[in-house]
Amino acid sequence: MLTRMEQIVVDFGPVRAVDHVDLTARSGEIVGLLGENGAGKSSLMNVLAGTFAPTEGRILLDEKPVHIGNALQAMHHGIRFIHQELNLCNDLRVFENMYLAQEILMPGGLLNKKEMAARTAEVFRRMHIDIDPWAVVGDLQIAEKQLVEIVRALLFKCDLIIMDEPTSALSTREVNNLFSIMRQLKNEGVGFIYISHKMPEIFEICDSYYVLRDGMLVGQGNIADTDEKAITEMMIGRSLANDDFKTKPSFTTQVVAMKAESVSGENFSDISFALHKGEILVFTGLQSSGRDQLADALFGVIAHTGKVEMSGKPLHGGIRSRMLKGLAMVPRNRKERGIHNDLSILDNTSMGFFNTRMKSLLISRKLEKKRYERQKTALAIKADNPKNLITSLSGGNQQKIILGRWLETGADVLIFDNPTQGIDVGTKFEIYHLLIRLAEQGKALLIFSSEFPEIIKVADRCIVMYKGRINTEILRADMTEEDLMYYSTGSNLEMEEAGETEETKKEGLKA
Amino acid sequence: MSESLSKNKGLTAKGAAKKLFSDYSYLVSFILILVIAVSANSNFFSWRNISTLFRQSATTTGMIALGMTMVICAGLIDISVGAQVALLSGFGIQVLNATGNIWIMLLFCLAGGALIGLLNGTLVAYGRMPAMIATLAVQTSCRAIVNHFGQGGPFSVAGGMSAEPFYQKFRQVANGAFDVFGFRVPYPMVIFIIMGLLFGLIMQRTRLGKHIYAVGSNANSARLAGVNVNRIKVTVFTITGVLCGFTSWLYSSSLMAVAAASAGNLFEMDAIAAVAIGGTAMSGGRGKIIGSFLGVLMFKIISNTLVAAKAPTFLTGAISGAIIIIAVLLQNIQRKK
Repeated sequence: MLTRMEQIVVDFGPVRAVDHVDLTARSGEIVGLLGENGAGKSSLMNVLAGTFAPTEGRILLDEKPVHIGNALQAMHHGIRFIHQELNLCNDLRVFENMYLAQEILMPGGLLNKKEMAARTAEVFRRMHIDIDPWAVVGDLQIAEKQLVEIVRALLFKCDLIIMDEPTSALSTREVNNLFSIMRQLKNEGVGFIYISHKMPEIFEICDSYYVLRDGMLVGQGNIADTDEKAITEMMIGRSLANDDFKTKPSFTTQVVAMKAESVSGENFSDISFALHKGEILVFTGLQSSGRDQLADALFGVIAHTGKVEMSGKPLHGGIRSRMLKGLAMVPRNRKERGIHNDLSILDNTSMGFFNTRMKSLLISRKLEKKRYERQKTALAIKADNPKNLITSLSGGNQQKIILGRWLETGADVLIFDNPTQGIDVGTKFEIYHLLIRLAEQGKALLIFSSEFPEIIKVADRCIVMYKGRINTEILRADMTEEDLMYYSTGSNLEMEEAGETEETKKEGLKA
Repeated sequence: MSESLSKNKGLTAKGAAKKLFSDYSYLVSFILILVIAVSANSNFFSWRNISTLFRQSATTTGMIALGMTMVICAGLIDISVGAQVALLSGFGIQVLNATGNIWIMLLFCLAGGALIGLLNGTLVAYGRMPAMIATLAVQTSCRAIVNHFGQGGPFSVAGGMSAEPFYQKFRQVANGAFDVFGFRVPYPMVIFIIMGLLFGLIMQRTRLGKHIYAVGSNANSARLAGVNVNRIKVTVFTITGVLCGFTSWLYSSSLMAVAAASAGNLFEMDAIAAVAIGGTAMSGGRGKIIGSFLGVLMFKIISNTLVAAKAPTFLTGAISGAIIIIAVLLQNIQRKK
């Protein structure tokens, strides 16, 4: 099957996520789709999978224009989308998930569980996967769930499989296994669109590539004709805006603002660090590195052991008591953990303030407005009526409202957990400048981020986590994206296991 | 930006009408029902009729609906309110008979309601039970206890014709009135209006109100902003319990004798319906006290009008049901746009 997307445009309100992109995928070809987070890869693929309609443009299958209105129609056209986030029902069994909405029935309408389980087991055997089809999905490991998700796409005949970062939770062995499955299917004539920003994988498995940046197609060609450096440059874009940050001065002082001593908790252990006033310290690591949990633990969202101090005073207890001591956290996943959909822009801004600094019995509308106006100016928030719902704003402006909420609490130590997730590039840069400005004012900043270009821009120091422990610490002067990736994936430790000691000498590892 | 600005400038008649429908749907329904009521009953706007509407609201589900608005705005539900009223009225009358003091009875009702509400809240917040199930269990328990002690007969305020001095005094609670420039303003009417204003103020202008909306809209975000989500849940149930207690006092005064099995029957449904017709989102996060306030009045108007129009008694429920469906459907259609 020849899949052709022509001049696709996707707008989310005022934000243009995909800007006139053409893409072609053939049978028996693996197309790599690359780009930084927020470059428009997922949006483009969601159009192809019928998750949402494009604002402009059309899709042709074997040169015939088609309308793909929903996921089921996409499946009928032979297109399968394996999402990055798992779309499994945790309470159902593996085979029930596999055949969800396409169940095999016995005459009379009852489910033919045996048949479904047997066929699932058959596919697993072919793929050398050791999962019991009768297991409840909620009991599986993340990597196993990911495999279930992938195999679900292979269960039915399909011509094009879209994979959105399928390897993020897989081990090297599982990745190799996945690749051999993909090659086998490729030989059978199945086409793939493979989304990833892991370069080595792209070069190992893909035949051709497309690079997106800020929603636009900035490069395409055969993998054989290019190299990692060229693609990275296309992805990042050597713009002037980047160079702004090269000369970022350090505002780090000697005053310790926050200190953690052997902090351990769910998914992380033995984390120690000292954060200084005026410093921007970044924690990075892969999804499973315990980074998220560490951020939550420091803010009192989840429990931890070990000692955390702020300005010499111990921090313990829940969120509010830590807020009262001058700690703030801009949480990751704005939609689920940040905004209140049903509340106005004004109320969303004030939510943190109400909690810690409001002294009067009644809310003063005048002061509330004044606080909002202050943040609006400081953060250049684009909103007309603050009484409108927060959902009337673009993602970037929503995020600024959340930032404003926390700045208004007057905290001295600010945790930013993935602060630029899902927002446009322009706003990202504004937020980077804001972070630097806050450091200049003497605030201590602790940023949790997985976006390496972002880390390079703002960090004074970066701690790389791997499997719940501190792998290494890199100072601004020595920071490169390659190193960050190298230590995030624990490559230094794997080599060490293999008997090479060169890296350990270089870094003096704490782990 | 320019797009949204032009949207604001273009706030024409059409835009205003749309806003009226989406944000003030309860006003639209209220006016509609008012028009119907007036055409069916020429005496509708007589002071006697109006004050009766308010008095009947206050002595039944009026205040409960205010608490229910809080509960629903927090994303929860409380179906134990009717049984709470039965229990507190029944035992409240016993307390009154024993002490002869209407204020001690009030105190008993308020404290008892607070305790039951606290139980509801604790089960939901700390016991992690779904609100529907926890309050269902409390509902059946309350009803069973009051039935047991009532032994099928009613709880009556002692005294009857003359003997007990507190009998007349207690009667006055629901049936007495202030005299304002020649108008008879029933005590319950005053109480209901004051409570309406107070709860409106709490929801719009206090930290508690904002936190209730925040929890109902997104409990996760609220928690990460430092809101003690569990405490908010306990608080809304406790407040609703206290209002049930207050209502029980007025309710038993208006009847002077309550039957354990039927007292407060279906109050939870009436209160929830009033909240729904008042434009509060059942999923939590959105809603206004004024909507519920008018919602309560709407139901009283509907039932009074049906009685005045001599509609078949047993079918009035079906007509009320149809009106709820239409009103909420209208809101949904507007919300989608």
